[in-house]
Amino acid sequence: MPVPAIDKRVEAPRDAHAHPLPASRRRPVVGLIIGMAVFAALLALRMLAPAAGGSSRLADAARDFVSLSISVVIESLPFVFLGIVLSIGVQIWLPDGFLLRRLPASPALRRPILSLLGMLLPVCECGNVPLARGLMVRGLTVSESMTFLFAAPILNPVTIITTQQAFGWDNGILVSRIAGGFLIANLIGWIYSRHPRPEVLLTSRFQEECSLEDHSGQAAGKVGRSVQLFVRETGAMMPALFIGAGIAGMIQVGVPRDVLVSVGNSPVWSVAALMVLAFVVAVCSNVDAFFILSFGATFMPGSIVAFLVFGPMIDVKMLALLRTTFTAKTLLQLTMVVALCSAVLGLAVNYVL
Amino acid sequence: MFYRRILDRWLGVLLSIIGVVATLWLGVTGRLALYIHPRYFEFTIIMAVIAGVLALAAFVVVPDGHGHAEGHGYAEGHGNADAGKRHWRWLGAAGSTLIAAAAVVGLLVLPPSTLSSATVTQRDLNGSASTLSRDEAVELVGADYTTFTMKDWISLLRQGVGEDVLAGKTATVTGFVTPDESDPENVFFAARFVVTCCAVDAQPIGLPVYSPGWQDRFETDSWVTVSGGFRTNPSQIGNEILVMVPDSIAPVPEPDSPYVY
Repeated sequence: MPVPAIDKRVEAPRDAHAHPLPASRRRPVVGLIIGMAVFAALLALRMLAPAAGGSSRLADAARDFVSLSISVVIESLPFVFLGIVLSIGVQIWLPDGFLLRRLPASPALRRPILSLLGMLLPVCECGNVPLARGLMVRGLTVSESMTFLFAAPILNPVTIITTQQAFGWDNGILVSRIAGGFLIANLIGWIYSRHPRPEVLLTSRFQEECSLEDHSGQAAGKVGRSVQLFVRETGAMMPALFIGAGIAGMIQVGVPRDVLVSVGNSPVWSVAALMVLAFVVAVCSNVDAFFILSFGATFMPGSIVAFLVFGPMIDVKMLALLRTTFTAKTLLQLTMVVALCSAVLGLAVNYVL
Repeated sequence: MFYRRILDRWLGVLLSIIGVVATLWLGVTGRLALYIHPRYFEFTIIMAVIAGVLALAAFVVVPDGHGHAEGHGYAEGHGNADAGKRHWRWLGAAGSTLIAAAAVVGLLVLPPSTLSSATVTQRDLNGSASTLSRDEAVELVGADYTTFTMKDWISLLRQGVGEDVLAGKTATVTGFVTPDESDPENVFFAARFVVTCCAVDAQPIGLPVYSPGWQDRFETDSWVTVSGGFRTNPSQIGNEILVMVPDSIAPVPEPDSPYVY
């Protein structure tokens, strides 16, 4: 059921943002020079920084913390960039409604297909929120958008490739993650499709924010909008990536191994611990497999699966992003359902496989 | 507020540039292998170049200053609920500054380095089944041992072969020195990290070397080339069954590619 009243506001803010543009046209050369200067300054810093000698001053544990965190960043960066480039392609370079027009009419068929839409829109979860809002404006129902939101970060080629790179095919982690993500997303879509008045699930603020979102770059050309999207997406993802990498390194170095091993060997506690970890660290689904890989030796596979399924759907960063669109009560319900399903999935993998 | 607006708009681009510069520098100086598996080198470099171009384009195309603060920056995300409260916004700005500073120090100021013994104690030495597969070890018994790598020798030892099988065979391996936890006085490991994806998943492997008083001659984490045969561990308290009894231990510089894959 389309969300009413949003379509009509779409046109309004365009004018409001039209006039700052000439100001920006004035100085592309100045901008280029500033950009080059930033690059040059950072490169100079890197090349002038003391070589190996400085390392001995850092304690071994501190040095390893830095090395581990850097390795998460260096490994994840290309995949984050790949996700952004692809999402730019789909959001800006594909014709409007290119994907939605081809959806079947029956809701029972639409949801499974929408959950596979992530295959074509390889965006990680933070990029999905603006995308899902855009889709709702164009006529997707609330429950359908939820299915898309929760399935897309997992059923997404970049996520699948990185999970495969990290864990391979054999141990059931990849398959459980894909199947689990698909089932949970469709379960949630089905539950909320039964809601009598889905519009009360949305915040009133959603309407105006949504229209702002859509038109921040409308006046600029496609290239301009692509670059703006790059700025927005990196703004959302890079800080989270660096924080996540820091936490990953800190846990590896700081938490004693016997604690990790004793928690990781318990079928129940390992699942609980890694779900809490997923909630707190909020790494993008594109690269969370690399993040959790280091736990692979000490933690049971079910807990890894719970981490890989729960994390992309719900975490602190996602809740902050989703709060722009859904009411607090809705988010609480969603969190409970997703957490419960992920825990069951994790326990099932631990006990059955 | 001006500073905060700039930060909101440019933090992502700045962090991208820091990452791109660090990646390209590591690539050009041949040190990417300290952090990631070589199979990612090309992909990593290509994406870094693309991101660098986009980041540069951001300075040319994006009009700065105008428009609404986008509500989905990470730092912004926390402050979102209290959008009006200046305190939270300043806290967000401080957090963003901290992240940028940490990224600059970690990626651009500190020298790149390998993992040390501190990480060995956090992980099971020779403990990961995935790094040393049993099937391979079966074929190792009759094989030409002069070509054996450290991985091969460890697989052979893990397989539980007896002293008789190993009699007369001499191994030569290079690794860093890390003490044996069960008998640090007499036994050290010549160890390497096995990397499957990136340094985060590095699992330590190593061969035990029986050399009483080794601490006086070699520092922990220094690199050595050890050559010698195997025999039952003379140590009374050590956990290792078979150890290398070295004919020679020579200090060597850290190899160019310190990890094994």
